Amino acid sequence: MIRDFAIVWSERDLLLSGLGNTTILSVLSAIAGLVIAFVLTPALMSKRRWLALTVRVFVDGMRCVPFLLFAYIVYYGLPSFGIRLDNWSSGLVALTVYHAAYLAEILRGAWVAQPREPIEAGVAFGFSGPRLFRRIILPPLLLAAGPVIGNQMIQIVKDSAFLTIIALPELTHAASSIQSRHYVPFAAFITAVFLYWGLCLVIEAGVSGIDRLASARR
Amino acid sequence: MSAADVLAILQGAVVTVTLSLIGILIGLPIGLGLALLRWANVPVIARVVAVYVSVLRATPLVTLLLLLFFALPNVGIAIGPVSAAILALVMNTSAFNCEVWRAALMNFPKEQYEAAQSVGMHASLRFRRIVLPQIVRVSLPGLVNEMSLLIKVTPVLAVVGVVDITRAAVRIGAETYEPLPPFLVAIAMYAPIVFALVSLQRFIERRQLAAEAA
Amino acid sequence: MTNDMAVLDVAGISKRFGDLQVLSDISFTVTRGETVCVLGPSGSGKSTLLRCINWLERPDAGQIYLNGDRIGINNGGVVMSDRELSRVRTRIGMVFQHFALWPHLTVLQNLMEAPVQVQRRPAAEVREEAMALLAKVGLSDKADVFPARLSGGQKQRVGIARALAMKPDVLLFDEPTSALDPELVGEVLLVMRELAREGRTMVIVTHEMGFARDAATRILFMDRGRVVETGPPERFFVSPDTERARQFIQRYAAG
Ligand SMILES: Nc1ncnc2c1ncn2[C@@H]1O[C@H](COP(=O)(O)OP(=O)(O)OP(=O)(O)O)[C@@H](O)[C@H]1O
Ligand SMILES: [Mg+2]
Repeated sequence: MIRDFAIVWSERDLLLSGLGNTTILSVLSAIAGLVIAFVLTPALMSKRRWLALTVRVFVDGMRCVPFLLFAYIVYYGLPSFGIRLDNWSSGLVALTVYHAAYLAEILRGAWVAQPREPIEAGVAFGFSGPRLFRRIILPPLLLAAGPVIGNQMIQIVKDSAFLTIIALPELTHAASSIQSRHYVPFAAFITAVFLYWGLCLVIEAGVSGIDRLASARR
Repeated sequence: MSAADVLAILQGAVVTVTLSLIGILIGLPIGLGLALLRWANVPVIARVVAVYVSVLRATPLVTLLLLLFFALPNVGIAIGPVSAAILALVMNTSAFNCEVWRAALMNFPKEQYEAAQSVGMHASLRFRRIVLPQIVRVSLPGLVNEMSLLIKVTPVLAVVGVVDITRAAVRIGAETYEPLPPFLVAIAMYAPIVFALVSLQRFIERRQLAAEAA
Repeated sequence: MTNDMAVLDVAGISKRFGDLQVLSDISFTVTRGETVCVLGPSGSGKSTLLRCINWLERPDAGQIYLNGDRIGINNGGVVMSDRELSRVRTRIGMVFQHFALWPHLTVLQNLMEAPVQVQRRPAAEVREEAMALLAKVGLSDKADVFPARLSGGQKQRVGIARALAMKPDVLLFDEPTSALDPELVGEVLLVMRELAREGRTMVIVTHEMGFARDAATRILFMDRGRVVETGPPERFFVSPDTERARQFIQRYAAG
């Protein structure tokens, strides 16, 4: 068994690049997903019913679809429409779009739970449109929803592992390669598991940092 | 894509649903057991459970599945794709369920427990008659939510060769050189199941809110 | 139709929510330096009136002028866009019953937010004024504290300073002390009295009869969406014209 881990150690570059790719993939799609959610959430709350309804259908639709199938559609299905993306782009697009829907719903939930008066004060003090959202509504939302957003980030990390199926060289894919090359399945995958755990602990530490910021403002 | 193909995917759906149900049914009580171990603060074991839950919550189901499927035979435990799938689902969902149960236990009013004690109920009776019915109620929305999450990760079972919805769809896509239609059919089978669970969760939450307001 | 001294001119405002007529044909003017206290029983439409003035609530009929400029309807005769409304709203300060401070900003940032972000005034200049305003409401030492760490009375003094920071033409107060513990009411009223003495133009919805009596230049008494009576506090409190006002005063004088 020690020998198995020695083999994994000898392949550490592969594993680390897998970890790096998982991190890059997760961070990029978390940021992009949040940015998209910043547009979707006000649309969900919009008084224009057709807009709210359209976005609602998209958000609920995504929440009913397994991520893996969505990723398949993006990777194998889009070429039917003449859109051909390589595995990196499809992986990123799939992760981003899918989780943007979840993040939008999370922010909407936090928004509904916010007291109305401070937002109204924003309007009364001359804020409107995107500036009202960005300066007055959004910051308390992010603070209030911090832990839930953190959970979603963990979900993003985990969903990125699905992308091994479209041969994206992320962490699980790296572990798979090592296992098939040297036949050390336990050592390879358990190492990957602990690396995922480490990533999630980092995210949780970040969340508790945000929570400290939030509690000073509550 | 022929009717036979749709039927094949439908058969896959039966496999998916069956495996999910088995995973849920086994995972629920195990999750409760783990939660109780943490709640009762059993020395050492409570810590072990905490780490187990923390690690499993962070582990993608694909990775866990590959680990079980490839590594268990390696240490002399023969395991087929279906058993590996069930084991992975159970491990995954029990960790999440544990958190839901534990939250309910932590919020359980201590006085009620002591009141039951004061009328001479012994521990197991107290738990069955007083604690359990109430924490089931509180945990229900969270548990249903976990179920919908579980269903949504089941496509990954195809990776080790379980012929579920996804594997059926992939095979048909490869045979017909038209991957989109079978995937859409697959999604059409998943969506109602997940939607039903999500709606159930909302329904329960709303009913409980209404009951509290009344 | 608008007299020179009128800062705020409200003419024939009506508002209904569904079947409920909340405001019926409300008219009054506020001249420069006046402190108008709006009194009336709960549900008489006082908050709605204030909210109609800055178009947080859109009135169904009537006109509102601020220093001669029509609010809510632009020169072309159409309803203002959000941007246009925003510009007008910065000229009307508002103080809220539940303070409505922005929780993610410090006290100083709360004061600076609208002047810098909406009015686009230079931050350095705004900061200086904001510090002066904090000194005025007695909260210089709280500049870098988040609102969550303040008492109710302190929050409301920040709320007032925040409204003043925009240099508005008129200040609207909606029951600024009714969410406060009794022992904290005094410190807020003290600040408001000071503003009245300085000759700020203010419209104050309040249930503080003592304050209305000696700080108001005029009382506006509302009941069921109408202005039932208006006049200087000496007359209103001593010999009101209407039976309704008499009953109202009696109830509050007793309580
Ligand atoms: N957005 C709304 N939709 C429907 N009805 C409303 C709305 N806002 C206020 N009302 C109703 O309009 C009436 C007047 O409300 P308003 O808040 O203006 O009264 P008020 O004089 O400020 O009372 P209070 O002293 O209790 O604050 C009330 O009956 C209230 O229920
Ligand atoms: Mg009111």
